[in-house]
Amino acid sequence: MTEYFIRRLLQSILVLFLISLVAFGLIHAAPGGPTQMMMAPGVSPETAKIQAHNLGLDKPVPTQYVIWLTNMLKGDLGHTFKNNLPVGEVLWPTVGNTIKLMAFAWFISLLIAIPWGIYNSTKVYGISDQTANFVSYIGFAMPAFWFGIILQELFSLKLDWLPLSDMYDMDKQGNFGNLLYHLILPCSVLVLGFLASYSKYARSSMLEVLEQDYIRTARAKGVPERKVIFRHALRNALIPIITIIGLDLPILVGGATLTESVFNWPGMGRLFVEMARSREYSVLMAITLITAVVVVAGNFIADILYKIVDPRVKLGSKGGKSA
Amino acid sequence: MTSKKKWLSLLVSLSVVSTLFVGCGSKDEASSTPKDEGNTDSSATTGTEGTKEATGPVDGGTLTYGSFSDIVSVNPLFVQDTASGDAAEFMYAKLYDINRTGEVVAEPWSLAAEPMTVSEDGLTYTIKLKDSAKWSDGEAITADDVVFTFNSIKDPKVGSPGMSGFDKVTKIEKVDDLTVKITLKQVYAPFQYVLSTQIVPEHILKDVKPEELQKNVYGTDPAKTVSSGPWVWKEWKQKQYLSFERNPNYWGPKPHIDKIVYKIYADQNTEVQALIKGDVDLLGGIPVTQVDAVKSRDGLTVIQEPGPQYEYLGFNFNPDNFKDKFVPWAGQKTRQAIAYALNRQGMIDNVLKGTGKLMNAPFLPGSWADPGDAAVNYAFDPEKAKQLLAEDGWTAGSDGILTKDGHRFSFELQYNSGNSRREQVASVIQQNLKDVGIEVVPKALDFAAWVDQNLTPGKYPAILMGWSLNNPDPDGETTFSSKYFPPAGQNQGFYKNEKLDKLWEEGTAVVDQEKRKEIYKQIGQEISTDLPYVFMYQYGTPTAYNSKVKFAEEDAPESSLAYGYFFHLINWWVDAK
Repeated sequence: MTEYFIRRLLQSILVLFLISLVAFGLIHAAPGGPTQMMMAPGVSPETAKIQAHNLGLDKPVPTQYVIWLTNMLKGDLGHTFKNNLPVGEVLWPTVGNTIKLMAFAWFISLLIAIPWGIYNSTKVYGISDQTANFVSYIGFAMPAFWFGIILQELFSLKLDWLPLSDMYDMDKQGNFGNLLYHLILPCSVLVLGFLASYSKYARSSMLEVLEQDYIRTARAKGVPERKVIFRHALRNALIPIITIIGLDLPILVGGATLTESVFNWPGMGRLFVEMARSREYSVLMAITLITAVVVVAGNFIADILYKIVDPRVKLGSKGGKSA
Repeated sequence: MTSKKKWLSLLVSLSVVSTLFVGCGSKDEASSTPKDEGNTDSSATTGTEGTKEATGPVDGGTLTYGSFSDIVSVNPLFVQDTASGDAAEFMYAKLYDINRTGEVVAEPWSLAAEPMTVSEDGLTYTIKLKDSAKWSDGEAITADDVVFTFNSIKDPKVGSPGMSGFDKVTKIEKVDDLTVKITLKQVYAPFQYVLSTQIVPEHILKDVKPEELQKNVYGTDPAKTVSSGPWVWKEWKQKQYLSFERNPNYWGPKPHIDKIVYKIYADQNTEVQALIKGDVDLLGGIPVTQVDAVKSRDGLTVIQEPGPQYEYLGFNFNPDNFKDKFVPWAGQKTRQAIAYALNRQGMIDNVLKGTGKLMNAPFLPGSWADPGDAAVNYAFDPEKAKQLLAEDGWTAGSDGILTKDGHRFSFELQYNSGNSRREQVASVIQQNLKDVGIEVVPKALDFAAWVDQNLTPGKYPAILMGWSLNNPDPDGETTFSSKYFPPAGQNQGFYKNEKLDKLWEEGTAVVDQEKRKEIYKQIGQEISTDLPYVFMYQYGTPTAYNSKVKFAEEDAPESSLAYGYFFHLINWWVDAK
């Protein structure tokens, strides 16, 4: 187990390193640099050169990468080019805001989707199952921004029950109750999206297990249906569900750019789009790395949960399950 | 001088997301009748004015402004984007202000005590400061601050975007604590507008090295940004809002509004909804596709007058940009034919929903330098266009596209992606020109890449682009004179006309406005005949406000000025519901 984790850890570090290398290269290969976006065209080429020099942008890209990597390892994420703000100061609040939104939506959707999917697997093509089908079609088909606008129009403008956008009212910054109030609409949009996939996963995973020989055996032995479902089927069906949840963890940090835009949620998805437009290399790199770290962590967590749910799974020399 | 014009940060910040919404909504709204618009508009206006007179100015309350982008730095030495400029408007007094008709004046809230005096020879400008003016930390505002600010802008090591405005300045002197004298090396009429500027505090910044000024926290840290205006900066929640409160040390007439919230929205649709809901009181940059939706709401007033910016179809005259080095519009008649072929009024009516004005020369309609009828107006006339093209030697090819000396008349028209207005206008151009036998291939490019690879080096066949005029001076030498070819200059289409080169120079070499007017009239005539661009229209980003926002008629927003949506903000008040 320990040996496995160490090996996976080293692999992950290598993966992160490669991701950073490729991302750095790609970001710098995009035409138009940060000075381009900073300067009015009237500024003379000489001044532009002085600026680029002050910012270290005139060095060759590999040198810039080494500098960036060295600073990164020291825990320094760098500064924005435009106004010299520490990247952390720009980035961390948006990460927190995105996690608040996504974690809430995700938790609620799991809470609804998994029991619902399990229930539906026992009553295939019943009313509840058909409803779930319908909801998932809508969830898959309806663009998040469009549904968001409909909700805003109805609940905020017409009925005036809920706030239109933002995390807090202007005069209630940091108030938790106010945050929950503001979470309702954007979360509804996200939950609908999540519900669609998770309830389907839960249902089909259960159905697959219920067709297994050991379930038939259990039923043949006269085990009560309740017990068949919860004791025999559920534990086995949960394994793939948990894997999917683990692999979906990165959604928590980067999954909702459109929803964030519509509800003016000051999150990381929005930041990424804005920073890409103004070619803020250091912020982009930081966001890329955070996302990469979360993806790798998601894999780890999926593996651990896998083991807890099913002790038969051996996390051994084979290098674990692959994504 | 080049800093007078700048790329519209609006263009930069138009998000792909909102374009989606704009695109969705545009078709439906096109059908509403102009008659209705007129009615709603006027009734709303009278409604607000009625209440205005009844109550009179009230002190207190909060004004919330909705913006599409966050600030970069409010340090006046470095402001280039609209959001930072907006914030600086609240926080800083200007040396001189610009009145509704575009003249430089000393208002009660200007730092200058009286109008500037210009010497007989037009070379020396003397500025007298008010003795009451103070920084928000209580220090007096003196000639030292003015000299420090101007020297910093002039210093190449600082990297201020205003630098070129000072390239004709030889000396900046402090005469006494309240008097500054500036000497120019040649007569340069637009210089008066350079003096309508915000000043930074010497006592805070004097020990910062010039090359470190831009990186300094002054301008990004509210607590450290000492300012001079009616409101001081209290808080900055990045990507969310900025807040400003009444400056306790303010020396000028007391502002009525207590607090200003500058709220940032990621999406234009949400922004408009926020105005409708009342989360926002004043909103600039409403997409034209949403104007009707806003006007139909009770209590909302839309200002539709176009702003200080115009759009153009720019030709490139550098043969290197064309296949076989053949410039299709080398002939003046061909350029005029293109102008006749375009239905510009149709674009204003349908794409801009009436929020634009035709332009025939690079001077804003109605400004003092507007040449009026002296400039040639190309009314929509495809037959005339065809005739001119034939006279210039174009004949129809087998596929219906014109040819000349074996060259097909086909060109690529570039513009920035994500700008729904340009996308639509480009397709109208494509259709209009197809009708006279010219093939247009519209091409949308990412703004940053476009500026870097095409605009700055002047590498493109034709562009659909706009200029924003930061001040009311008509000088356009850096845009049209052959002295300013890329990469150093802004004449990106390599346009050369010796007569115009000379006239542009003459235009800034006299201070007398009447004489200048005459010169710009000649320029208007020549440039509209020769057509380095097809001048399309003056356009705007409509502003709307709700019934909470009050102002006397003489303090109403002025669209034709930069930051004119905050015109005389110090005199406005809000209903304290």
